This record gives sequence, structure tokens and C-alpha cells, in this order.
Amino acid sequence: MRRAEVLAALALTLVAGVLVREARRLPIAWTGTGPGAGFFPFYLAVGVMVCAAVLVVKTLRANPAKSSAPFIPERAWKPLLIVILPIVVMLSLMDYLGIYIGGALYLGGYMWLVGRHRWSAIIPVSVLVPLALFFIFERWFLLPMPGGAILEYLLYKR
Amino acid sequence: MTPLSVFNDLLYGLGVAFTPYNLLVGLAGLLLGTAIGVLPGLGGTNGVALLLPLTFKLGATAAIILLASVYWGAIFGGAITSILFNIPGEPWSVATTFDGHPLAKQGKAGVALTAAFTSSFIGAFVSIILFTLFAPPLAEIAIKFGPPENFAVLLLAFASLAGLEGGDPLKAILMTFLGLLLGTVGFDIVTGQPRMHFGLVSLQSGVNFIVIAIGLFGLGEIFVSVEEGLRLVGVRARLGFREVWETWKMLPRYWATLVRSTIVGFWIGVMPGTGATPASFMSYGMARQFSKHPERFGKGEVEGVIAPETAAHSAGIGGLLPMVTLGIPGSPTAAVMLAGFFIWGLNPGALLFKEHREFVWGLIGSMYITNVIGVILVLTLVPVFASINRIPFAVLAPLIVILSSIGAYATNNAILDLWIMLGAGLAGYVFKKLKYPLAPLVVALVLSDMMEQALRQSLIMGQGSIGIFLTRPIAAGFLLASAFLFLLPAIQGYTRRRARANAAR
Repeated sequence: MRRAEVLAALALTLVAGVLVREARRLPIAWTGTGPGAGFFPFYLAVGVMVCAAVLVVKTLRANPAKSSAPFIPERAWKPLLIVILPIVVMLSLMDYLGIYIGGALYLGGYMWLVGRHRWSAIIPVSVLVPLALFFIFERWFLLPMPGGAILEYLLYKR
Repeated sequence: MTPLSVFNDLLYGLGVAFTPYNLLVGLAGLLLGTAIGVLPGLGGTNGVALLLPLTFKLGATAAIILLASVYWGAIFGGAITSILFNIPGEPWSVATTFDGHPLAKQGKAGVALTAAFTSSFIGAFVSIILFTLFAPPLAEIAIKFGPPENFAVLLLAFASLAGLEGGDPLKAILMTFLGLLLGTVGFDIVTGQPRMHFGLVSLQSGVNFIVIAIGLFGLGEIFVSVEEGLRLVGVRARLGFREVWETWKMLPRYWATLVRSTIVGFWIGVMPGTGATPASFMSYGMARQFSKHPERFGKGEVEGVIAPETAAHSAGIGGLLPMVTLGIPGSPTAAVMLAGFFIWGLNPGALLFKEHREFVWGLIGSMYITNVIGVILVLTLVPVFASINRIPFAVLAPLIVILSSIGAYATNNAILDLWIMLGAGLAGYVFKKLKYPLAPLVVALVLSDMMEQALRQSLIMGQGSIGIFLTRPIAAGFLLASAFLFLLPAIQGYTRRRARANAAR
């Protein structure tokens, strides 16, 4: 936990440093019309950097015995990855599968892998839920969602 | 602003809220909100954020009524899982588990539920009356604010966030800076220059607040729940008319707790940035302190259910007061609603009362109506709502992920936003585990433009000198108050250390 704490604060310091550099591309001081465009972000980034740096020092000075637990417990890795990795895959394939087919596969896969549900439950749920969402968002509220190449072809022959 | 005109405005607002369309919207919001409140892993803030894209088509008044009703529903619903399953559906119902679940295990689930809903309703109703009375004069004062006063009020908002969160104030301050900083990505509001975009065109339109909120609160919460491994072991709920009646007869005995919790809740709610959660804890603590039998708390004391529930709902209402009058959200959920104002083409702030009478008074009127409907709804439908928890987590988790993606995409129709959402979700998970508070980040992100504009205009007014803040009494007063709040945790830490040192001696 302590290592994660230090690493997070270090990462924040670093990110803030990059943002300070980015802010300095624009005037940060007084210009003819008042403070420049970089003024506000510059001082904010400096603020983040100072806070994060102080946190690094503070954590390093704190008693290490108090926080020996690991940041992510060993048993939690698998369930976490089972949630996160498929999201990454789903987003990568968004152009082809779209949110509805991708969502159906994600839902069905998760029920199968994690919930260990029977196929007689998985198939109707993972078909009906995205179908309901499709009608709510696409038809009822007319919010265009990424349908994906497959659905586009099936619906509009594009 | 005479009392009579307030009364007239209120009647007008009740009329707006009482139209069939707005009633229907409010009812839908309540049902959705209660379901959201019951489901662990789907919080009120996130529920409101997910629904925000749907409100594009509703019109501003119906939209705010929907979102507010979802919030009230979520506050009612949070109590159900706390009492029956010992799992708080919402952070503000954590304190309700302390005595609510022991009561349920003793077979008094009906008493606990009735006490929770009724006290929640009483807290809400008194707060709405306070709201109605306080909002117009506050808006009247706020309308005279110039940029220095606005900046000072915003600073006060952040100061109270940093001071009241508990936890490390340094982390709260860091998150405030980070939120404000994220808000500067895109175009400079004054000169129109693109900035902080790292050369990426897609970043020039800025970081979308809703996407970040959905990621942080929606996905982040799911990741945390997955890690903890959710398991629901519940007590069955039945709520008969007799049980409700018996509990109601008991309630007048607790009038002191009800009054105290309502006032505490309302006050904490009005304080910007904090919300129902700290209010519920503080109220619970006070109830135990004032009680003649503090030893009964934690073992099934009805007062331990009444106190946090009253305060939580009261704070929820109070949190909307600075949002409507000053344009400053009083809670993270209010911050999400405030983001909606911009989408619906409204400028939050003091002028709302003058220029958008239907919107403001429609919201106030709907608060009266939806809370009455809400308490009846939850009292009659407890078994239905409790059964929502039978949805297996393996269905719920992916469903929330899909809904989050839809919500994040709908705001801008950009696939990049989905990746930003995922990034925010992972960041939210890490932040939550390391106890970096999320509320300051979210509130700051919404208020970034307002804050920057106020600061830069003030500096222009003062010709580059910060003396302008000190020469204007209202601004100076707010600054002093913020300085006090910022320093409060440090002072408390110092006195505590002194006390410990003395005790050691």
C-alpha cells in the first residue's frame, strides 16, 4: 500500500510537471489585456505538483509498518482483469461490433465466466437486454450510438 | 421580495410541477432513483450522470425534475439495502446500517424501514420549506456579486470541501487543483486560444465533465465492488399497515433528534461540496452523544436509523440551494446536475431566479410533490424494490459498464470519450483505494471556467493587484472564512497532538 501511495504521488508530480510545461506554451504573466491564457493552468499545475511532491515526502516519512497490506490483494487480480480486459477489447472493436453487439457479448461472456450461469439464462439475458437498450436509446430517445459495421449492414445495408 | 411573492411563486411552481407531463417525469425519476439507490455499485451521482444525456430531449424544467427525483429516490432507496442486507446502496446510508440491520435481524425490519422512510421524508419536507424561504433572498444578494465576490465564494466552496472531507486535506486540495486543471483543457475562455491539448485536435474541445464523472463514479465503483467480491445475504422484508402505524406512533418521541438532524443536514448540505454522506455520519454521531442510552447504539436503536436518514435527505435538499442561487453545487450529485444546466442552455447563477422562473420554481414545486409521492411509493413497494437485489452481480456489473458507455458516448458522439471514461474509471479505482477524495475533483472540474473567469476579471479590475479582494468587504469576508476552513484540519491536528503529548506526560 505504501509503495502504491508513493508511486501514485510520484506519478501525479510527474504529470503535473508535464502540464506545467504545456501551460508555459502560452503567456502566463500579465499581457496587455490582463492575465495570459496560460496563467490559470500554469499556477494550477504548479499547485498539483507541490501537493504531490509534499505527499511523496510525507508518505516516505510515515511509519511503514502501518501499511504493509498490498495495494491490490492477490485474489482480487483475476476478477479485476476479467472486468477490465473485456472492456478494452470491446472498445477496440467498437467500429465493427458497436455498442449493442459488443455489449451483448460482454454481458454474456461475463455471466458465463464469472456468474457461471446456465446457457438457458445467458442467452435470453444477453440478447434481450441489449435489444431493450437499442429500442430505448436508438428508437425512443433518438440518440445515435455506435452501431458498428455489422449492425449498420444488417439494418441499413450500408 | 416579500413573503407574499414567495408564496405566489411557490403556488406557480407547484402548478408547473403538477402538470401531467412533469408528474410523470417525476414518478419515473423516483422509480429509477429508488432502483439505483437499492443497487450497490450504482450510486446516485452516477445514476444522475448516466441519465443526463437522456435529458437533451426533455426540456430544461422536466429534465431538472427528472434528475432531482432520481436523487430523492436514491436517498430513499439507499436505506432499503442498508437495513435488509447490511450493504449500503449509497455512501450516505452507511450510517443507517449501524442500527438498521441489527433491528432487521431482531425481526423489526418493518420498524426500521418505516422509521427510515418517514424520518427521511420529514427531514426532506422541512428542508424544502427552508429552501423555499432562503433561496429567493440569497439569489437577491448574489445578484449584486461582482467577479471578486464570485471568486471568493468559489474559493469558500473548495475550502469547505478540503476541510470537511475527513482524510488528508492535502489530497483534497490536490484533487481540487487537478479538477480545475482538467477544466482548462480546450479553449481559453477569454482569448479563445487553444491550450493544454498536447497537439491533439480531439482534446481541443475540452475534457467532458460527464465522461469523467461516469468513469470515476460508475466504472471506478464497479472495479472496487468486483475486488471486494459482493455477496448479498438478506433479511426478508414485509411491511404491513399496522407496523407502519405502530412506528408512526413512536416517532413523536424522537422529535429532538428529528429537529437536530434536519438542521445539521440542511446546513451541511448548503455548505458547498459536501453532501448527504458527511451529514449522515455527523448526525448519527450527535444522536449518540445526546442520547441517554448511548450504549444501545449499534445494537438496534431506532434513533440510530432516524438520525442519519433525516440528515441525509435534508442535506440532499440543502445541496441544491447554492446550486440554484449561486451556481455552486452543494454536493457531487448537484455538480452533475449543474453540468446539465449548460447542456440545457441555462446559465447557473443568481439570474436564474429572474430569467427562468418556470425552471427554478418548477424544481422547487416538484420537490414538495415528488417527496410526498416518494415516501408513499417506498412504503408500499419495499418488497418489490428489495427484490431488485436478486439481480445477480454477474448481470449487474456488465450492465452498468454498458450503460456507462452509452452515457459517455451520447454527450459528444466520440469514441475517444469512451477511452477517456475507461481511463477515468481506472484512475477512480486507484484514487478510491488510496483515499484521494473524488468529490473535490468533480466539483472543481465543473466550476473551472467560472473560477478562472472570476479570477481573471477580478485581476483586470484590480489592474493586476490581488488587493482588489481585500478592499471589498464581502469578498474579504469570504476569503477569511475560506482561509479558516483551509487551516481548520491543521489546527485540529495540532491541538490533538498537544492533547496526546499532555496525556503522555
